[in-house]
Amino acid sequence: MQLANRRHELVIGMVLAVLAAVCFGAAVAAAQQADGKAGTLPLTTRSPEALQLVQTAWELNLDQVEQEKAVEVLRKAVQIDPNFAMAHELLAQSSLDPAEQVREQHKAFATRGFASPAERQVIEWWQDASDHKLISAITKMNDVLAQYPHDKWVVFLSTWWLTLQTQNERAVAVYQRSGITDSPGLMNNTAYAYAYMRQFEPAFALMDQYVAALPGDANPQDSYAEILRMAGKFDKAVEHYRAALTINPEFYSSEFGIADTYSLMGDQDRARKEYEVAFKRFPLPELHQVQWKTREAQTYVREGDFAGADKAFQAIADQAHAKHMSQVEADTYRQMAMYQPSPKKTLFFINRADAAIREGKNSMPAALQQERAQVLRARIEANLKSGNRLTAQSELKRLAAMASNSSDRLIEVAWQGAAGAVAFSQHKYDDAISHLEEDTNNPLSLKLLAEAYQKIGDSAGAKRTSQTLASINDPTLEQALVVLPFRKCYPDSGCSGNVKAVSLKK
Amino acid sequence: MRGWKRFLLPALLMTVPYCAHGKQWAVVTNTGNAATNVSAAELLKMFNGHTRSWPDGKPVIIVIRGSSSEEMQPVLRKLFDMTGTQVHSFIQLHKGMVIEADSDDAVIHFVSVTHGAIGVVDLYSLTKDVRVVKIDGKLPVEQGYILRGN
Repeated sequence: MQLANRRHELVIGMVLAVLAAVCFGAAVAAAQQADGKAGTLPLTTRSPEALQLVQTAWELNLDQVEQEKAVEVLRKAVQIDPNFAMAHELLAQSSLDPAEQVREQHKAFATRGFASPAERQVIEWWQDASDHKLISAITKMNDVLAQYPHDKWVVFLSTWWLTLQTQNERAVAVYQRSGITDSPGLMNNTAYAYAYMRQFEPAFALMDQYVAALPGDANPQDSYAEILRMAGKFDKAVEHYRAALTINPEFYSSEFGIADTYSLMGDQDRARKEYEVAFKRFPLPELHQVQWKTREAQTYVREGDFAGADKAFQAIADQAHAKHMSQVEADTYRQMAMYQPSPKKTLFFINRADAAIREGKNSMPAALQQERAQVLRARIEANLKSGNRLTAQSELKRLAAMASNSSDRLIEVAWQGAAGAVAFSQHKYDDAISHLEEDTNNPLSLKLLAEAYQKIGDSAGAKRTSQTLASINDPTLEQALVVLPFRKCYPDSGCSGNVKAVSLKK
Repeated sequence: MRGWKRFLLPALLMTVPYCAHGKQWAVVTNTGNAATNVSAAELLKMFNGHTRSWPDGKPVIIVIRGSSSEEMQPVLRKLFDMTGTQVHSFIQLHKGMVIEADSDDAVIHFVSVTHGAIGVVDLYSLTKDVRVVKIDGKLPVEQGYILRGN
């Protein structure tokens, strides 16, 4: 804790020292920025100091991947100039505190009148995205991109948002078109976009460039490790995580990354020891705490210790409740519902998730709607599991209505996945396939999809889908619940798993 | 660590996107075109050449991205109501009516400067230079839109 605080103070101190040194020049810089240099997104503020802070925050965020430090700097910027709309927007996007995300998005929108037209477009694009106005958000993003196709920050914001929208191919295209080859942060993000498409060769090539660009930084090694892990190269991943920690022993993402990797390798005891060490060593911001506490809880699910999992997940839910993080609380209960062997307990936790959503504290409206859809999907799947098909169908209608009234991709895929599961339960395999093909990021849907292909005699489709499913190495509950049992049977056609007679052999 | 993690749930706790999603498509027209909504039946008639002009008399010009690309095949089959081979032959026979562009940006550019043009683009390439036309009252982001997965 003390170490981390000292690091923050040090960073702020350094920033202030730089500010003092450039005080005179900054006023000029502010004027230039306000006018908008050719090809550069203007940043409008009455304070040269706030402008300098935002520029520092950008660098910290993107190229140094120091998100917490960037957040500290952005908080200072909005304190100096409360009408600095883009600073509010960046803080909304980069904050690790859900309440701050909501608050700062409101402020960005409210103060956009003080900003230039291009900045207003950026703010409205993110507001539209938050309000589920997808077409308007896309149009605004592309208009900003058309004006500033080579601006590093615009390219970063665009590729980031596109990746959130699972438009990885397009994110890569925006990066390539930008012609920017000297931004370590963009190399990093683009490598992830490739990895999400399971194109590991270009991802590794970019990682090599990223490591070469910042040989003294921990994050390139950390990212390399994570992408290696996604590709199933666990031992090499641990090597790179350790290399990151050698460079910077305080780089907690790598310490937790090692724990995640051991968990995926099947060594849950070792994983929990690593998590314990990491939690003791590093104080974390709220959402990072939730992320790794959740992964720690998943270790119990991976070894079938559901009582242990209940205890660990309940602690997260209680903490989220105490901190008024309703969406976190709801999602934790949703996950608890997913692994329960007893239908009664499943329903109990789904109801608790719904109750948390109804409280709706410190959460973006769009995020709450997404969570509501996920919980409804869990309810439908639970009903299918316990044979309540009529109830499942009636709940599916509710989810369909949500999807049709929203342009949110996450809600849409939740409906597609649930509709696929319902169609599958009715032995309508063609119908199931058409829905499940729209939800290929979820192991639950992939498993059903492989089975549905098999049922209709599409062996190539079944094989392709099974290969994808078997190669998923994400530290998620869905991976633990679906992929691990699936791998035990795969590719053994005599196994008692549901997907039979699908072989990797060519 | 990936740069600038935005830890909004459920993106945080759900699986990472490891596959490319199916593309989402949008039918677009010139912003000067008064038609904001077209029925699916009318759209098919335009694409297969039965309807040659808009109500204001301007000729219908169809603009599509590379008809041979794999990802376009389901879209073309739906819009032309033909097999892939038939679509290809149809395009060859109607070169003045159907224009092939080499990118979404090129489709958008052509539609934006041609009054009677109607094109199909990746939803995420939309710009303010074209108008998204509703099909049977539905936008591309709505369930039941003609070019959605199901």
